[in-house]
Amino acid sequence: MTTALDVQSLRAGYGAINVLWDVSLTAPTGKTTVIVGPNGAGKTTLLRAIMGLIPITGGDVRVNGRSLTGARTWDSVADGLVMIPEGRMIFPDMSVDDNLMMGAFPRACRAGWKRNKAMVFDLFPRLAERRDQIAGTLSGGEAQMLAIGRGLMEQPRVCLIDEPSLGLAPVVVDEIFRILAKLRAEGLTIVLVEQNTSRALKIADHVHLMRSGRVVLSEPGEAVDLERLHALYFAHDDAA
Amino acid sequence: MIELTLQALFSGLLAGGYYATVAVGLALVFGTMRIINLAHGELVLLSAYIAYAAESRYGLNPVMAIPLALLVVGTVSMIVYALLSRIRQDREINSLILTFGIGIIMTNGILTIWAADIHSTTNPWFQDSLVIADTLFAMNAEIVAFVGGLALMAAVYWWLNHSWQGRAVRALSSNRNAATLMGVNPRQTEILSFLIAALLATFAGVAIYTGKTVFPALGHVLTVKAFIITVLAGMGSIHGVLIGAVMIGIIESLTVTYLSASLQELAGMLLFLVVLFVSPSGLFGGRRALAR
Repeated sequence: MTTALDVQSLRAGYGAINVLWDVSLTAPTGKTTVIVGPNGAGKTTLLRAIMGLIPITGGDVRVNGRSLTGARTWDSVADGLVMIPEGRMIFPDMSVDDNLMMGAFPRACRAGWKRNKAMVFDLFPRLAERRDQIAGTLSGGEAQMLAIGRGLMEQPRVCLIDEPSLGLAPVVVDEIFRILAKLRAEGLTIVLVEQNTSRALKIADHVHLMRSGRVVLSEPGEAVDLERLHALYFAHDDAA
Repeated sequence: MIELTLQALFSGLLAGGYYATVAVGLALVFGTMRIINLAHGELVLLSAYIAYAAESRYGLNPVMAIPLALLVVGTVSMIVYALLSRIRQDREINSLILTFGIGIIMTNGILTIWAADIHSTTNPWFQDSLVIADTLFAMNAEIVAFVGGLALMAAVYWWLNHSWQGRAVRALSSNRNAATLMGVNPRQTEILSFLIAALLATFAGVAIYTGKTVFPALGHVLTVKAFIITVLAGMGSIHGVLIGAVMIGIIESLTVTYLSASLQELAGMLLFLVVLFVSPSGLFGGRRALAR
């Protein structure tokens, strides 16, 4: 089993405020790795640091063996490292169709845009119905579907997904997780950040629990005991 | 009376076309970078003076000067961009001060090189009049500027909506972080939009030199006009710019016809105030930037 994503003692934050304290974790190729943890644990910050959206102040990130030190966001994207941000980060004043076309912007993805778009519309028929609609007028669930569809247009080799269920109705969350399970079954390498622990665990091959900018638990998905996880999740910092 | 009105509307439409060519460049850069380039009018002026130099010194047709003007204006644009991208704090206000200063330097540079005289093309063809439907008069230069400007703007519009790079410009303007997550290199994209603005400015400059008169202080006047049209349109809206420019052109030309040429600027400003009073975010404001 090869390692798709290897994070070693990563430190990053926002200006003078450091958020990640020597975070180390790995994600194997073709598997779904889930990172759970309470609000403010640094999960989203971790994804942003991996993508180069915020500067790394220490440690290293390797994708398929290559160090990302000094790589800019757009270079990583060209290499197949894709982040699906939460649904609010679509292009609100462009059409659904144009949003998807932006997913095909990396040079390697342009030739396959037709096939990829058909695949996305197949996955999310709702997006096909709304293809000419301005993305800013979509519902929260539709926006999340658009963000996922747009990310898939980028032909990810490693796909980081940030809180896909955030603020969505349960029925929509069901649909999103059904899609994620399908992507997992197809062998996509997924790193999923999620607060909805019980849902996320169902599709996890491996689980990391983050608290206060540190990884406090790393276990194979089937070994995770939900009760113990929740105990750690809600514990005071000194007990963790 | 009707003929006079029609002629005023026609002249206003033609003037609006060339105002739009100037303003679209400003709106494009604003859309991509959230920066008002207050030296944009001076770029137009620079192009006009290069056309003048080419004609007066080498007897070149002003239209033939476009490649050279494009080279110079493009280079100056890149210098402006390089300076702008060095701004680290308070980009909005500092970019205004910087580009305003660059505009002053350019105006005075032009004044030093070419003196304060008023110039216009000496090629008679441009000033020959063309009669449409027996009643509407226009100079050849005005028609060339209008048709050429419209074609150029249509091309820019198509490019924004249907090309990979054009979509990237809109994406960058819509959500910067998300655009980089799609593999967009913001710097490259911003440079591209600056160069397209330079292309529009170059064309507008030659159009003004052939159809109107140029003098060093004109750059500032053009910047202000383009800024007003951009705000009138609703910051960053491209088709709004076209409509806003034609509105300004027509109200100015009606004022010249029925009131007095000295009230021309005032009429445009009044229209601007009224529109902002009724709809503070402009004709097509509300939605952000370039996207539609």
